Amino acid sequence: MPASVSLQGYLILAAVLFAVGLFGVVTRRNTIGILLGIELMLNAVNINLVAFARFNGDAVGMVFTVFTISITVAEVALGLALVILIFRVRRTAIADHLDLLRG
Amino acid sequence: MTLETVGFGVVATVLLASSLAVVLTPNLFHAVLYLAAALVATGVVFLLLDQPFLFAVQLLLYAGGVVTIAVFAIVVTERLVGDRITQTSRQIFSGFIIAGAVLVGLLTFILRAPLTRPRPPLAGDFTRAIGDAVLTRFVLSFELLGMLFLAALLGALYFARPDD
Amino acid sequence: MTDPGSLVTLALLLPAATFLLLSIAYPLRRAGRAAGIVSVAGAAVALAAALRAWQLQSAEGFTRIALEWIPQESGPLATVGVLADADSTLMLVLVALVSFLVQLYSLGYLDTEAPASLGRYYVYQSLFAFSMMGLVLAPGFVQLFICWELVGLCSYLLIGYWYERPAAARAAVKAFWITKAGDVGLLVGIVLLWFRAGTFDFLQLYDLARGGQIPLAGLGLVTFCIYLGAMGKSAQFPLHVWLPDAMEGPTPVSALIHAATMVTAGVYLLKRTNWLFALTPDVLVLVGWIGAFTALFAAVLACVQSDIKRVLAYSTVSQLGYMMAAMGAGFAAAGFLHLLTHGIFKALLFLGAGAVIHAVGSNDIYRMGGLRRHMPQTTVVFLVGTLSLAGIPLFGGFFSKEEILGAVWSGGLAVPFWMLVTAAFLTAFYMFRVVFIAFFGAPAAPAPLAHGGHGGPDAHGGGHLHDAPAVMTGPLWLLAALSVGIGVYFTVHHGEPEFTAPGWLTPLAVAVAAAGIALAWLTYSRRVISADLLATIFAPLRRGALAGFWLDDLFEGIYRLALLGLARLVGWVDRYLVDGVVNVCSAWTLAWGDRLRRMQTGLAQDYVYGLAVGLLLLLIWVQWPR
Repeated sequence: MPASVSLQGYLILAAVLFAVGLFGVVTRRNTIGILLGIELMLNAVNINLVAFARFNGDAVGMVFTVFTISITVAEVALGLALVILIFRVRRTAIADHLDLLRG
Repeated sequence: MTLETVGFGVVATVLLASSLAVVLTPNLFHAVLYLAAALVATGVVFLLLDQPFLFAVQLLLYAGGVVTIAVFAIVVTERLVGDRITQTSRQIFSGFIIAGAVLVGLLTFILRAPLTRPRPPLAGDFTRAIGDAVLTRFVLSFELLGMLFLAALLGALYFARPDD
Repeated sequence: MTDPGSLVTLALLLPAATFLLLSIAYPLRRAGRAAGIVSVAGAAVALAAALRAWQLQSAEGFTRIALEWIPQESGPLATVGVLADADSTLMLVLVALVSFLVQLYSLGYLDTEAPASLGRYYVYQSLFAFSMMGLVLAPGFVQLFICWELVGLCSYLLIGYWYERPAAARAAVKAFWITKAGDVGLLVGIVLLWFRAGTFDFLQLYDLARGGQIPLAGLGLVTFCIYLGAMGKSAQFPLHVWLPDAMEGPTPVSALIHAATMVTAGVYLLKRTNWLFALTPDVLVLVGWIGAFTALFAAVLACVQSDIKRVLAYSTVSQLGYMMAAMGAGFAAAGFLHLLTHGIFKALLFLGAGAVIHAVGSNDIYRMGGLRRHMPQTTVVFLVGTLSLAGIPLFGGFFSKEEILGAVWSGGLAVPFWMLVTAAFLTAFYMFRVVFIAFFGAPAAPAPLAHGGHGGPDAHGGGHLHDAPAVMTGPLWLLAALSVGIGVYFTVHHGEPEFTAPGWLTPLAVAVAAAGIALAWLTYSRRVISADLLATIFAPLRRGALAGFWLDDLFEGIYRLALLGLARLVGWVDRYLVDGVVNVCSAWTLAWGDRLRRMQTGLAQDYVYGLAVGLLLLLIWVQWPR
């Protein structure tokens, strides 16, 4: 093992996390499950940002991460609110049943 | 073999294991709990990258906030448990393929770049630097973020109102 | 205005001016008789100018006025203008004379026409006069062809003058089609010649031909193609079928176009390009043979016709064959001379027939009889014309016909010579058949003559069996006088022929004509020989002749097979291939649209798949230059 973990290691970790999140998004039936997958993907992005910022000595990446965390939280809140609303109307949270926009 | 490397390995393992559990477990509630673990692990990764402030933010907002709302949402929408993986997951094979392809693409991209230098030493306090940047250089974005939260709050209130 | 060039230009432009005036100023045109008088006046002045030009024109010199029309670096590609030499001025006089006389005659013949129709008639007549003069005076092939086509158009317009009659409309279209078949050959020939010689101009081509600079290889094809045009216009076999049907037009039109001017355009063309045809003697031999055969063929057909105009039409075809035979024998001057004399007496015959038709109300000779008692003037002039046509000495046609016979004999075409002699016999026979039946003998039983009776297309009025008014008999007497005058002139002033005719030729010609007259007299006047017996002896020939030897049916069959078949084929290609391609494209678009529509499943996760694929493509694209 190397003396210290290089940037590459963090990036690979972020990439794998991203792939796992993507897998979750496309496979989960429940809408909330999809949102969990999205969470994972966003976390991977955050790791990426912070790693780059640390290795370049630039604080901007950290600021960016703060912003993304904040916005993600807001987005998840509203997304779950939407899921609850849909559940009220259609009595289902299964994504496969929500295909009204079919062509 | 430094402590840092070992720590990284452990955290990485935990993170990956819990994230895989998030996407594979049939029980949705367990998935949320595993997500909490993954979020904490991410925070530890931030710690490893010398960012205590971000670790704190991550724990507070993500592990605290998001998980809580997710639990609430699950409770409201009932359907908690599916017996088999196919009740909770669909097209696993093609999902695996596509996720694997994306991973391979990203990895080739990353591995071709010369990023193997060790990290530079800490130059100054990052937390202070974050604070300074947020309130000087990025103050506009910061304020807009406040607007965004206000809008999200209003939206959530509107969605949550009773039907009358 | 004393040189031939400007005089012929004046003669050429006068009918053009009349045409433009009458077609633009429609109140004048609708006035009918006023339009006619304007047109006749223009034709009279044109005639005067043409006569003066001919008088001034010397035998060897020429005047050329040419305006550049299609410019090109090495000299103009096409010119328009006039080329006045001995031939063209003489032909111009014929055209102007007959045109003037016919227009004058029409004032009387078409007096029962509606004024607007009459105006239209004179518009066409003026256009025709202009076109024919333009053809005669053309300095090159381009103007010749343009005027050639214009003349064909005028023929169509004038044959179909009474366009409400289906027979007339069909005849006009038929004439147009058949002559067009020949015109295509003419166009091809002109273009091929241009390829070889590089010019359309007659004078330049003449110099090139004399200098031997036109390559002889394949020139026979060129001259044959040019001859095709002459074949169509001058009604040579087998493209003669339009001329008898063209008799649906008014009789003055037949006199002008289908006797004296348009049909002679083919002969004139060969005369004009004589030096070119001289380079291809094989084609000339062919011309001679076809001409002689046409003469005999048409003469046979004329013997069985009962419509007076049709007899004259076939007679014209026959005489055109004579002219072409002389051309083919290599003595174009003889053919040209016959063109001129024939123009005079054939116009005379047609106009005389018109007077008769105008009076009797029918074209059928069996409805006429003993006309000489009621129409003495007409009888005399008609007889003059007939004697000229039959080739009796002292009358116009005798000398030119004898010239042709001599030319054909000297040209070495023996079989055509005997064909022409037989045709001369038949010519005398059938013409005097008409004379004896129509003008002599007992009057025909009065058949119901209401509405012009049976048959005659231009029968109107009828029942007034007297000589025609002065405006019609004037031209008749003038033409008759000219016919006799020419005959006497040539008898006295014997020109020097280009060949030496054998001594027995003249007696033979006269004897043959006399024999024909005698047979006709015996059969139709004295009734010594029974016409029915003759009909029985020649029954198969007669049956064939009555059916036109089935040439019309042949052409119709070709039209049906070739043209309609081609049209059906093209239609099929259009419907199934051209439209098919479009329909297939449309069907494919719809089918693929249907299939691609299923991409829109409405499930968000499927769209995430799309996003992921897009991300992959982006990664690949960014990393591509490895």
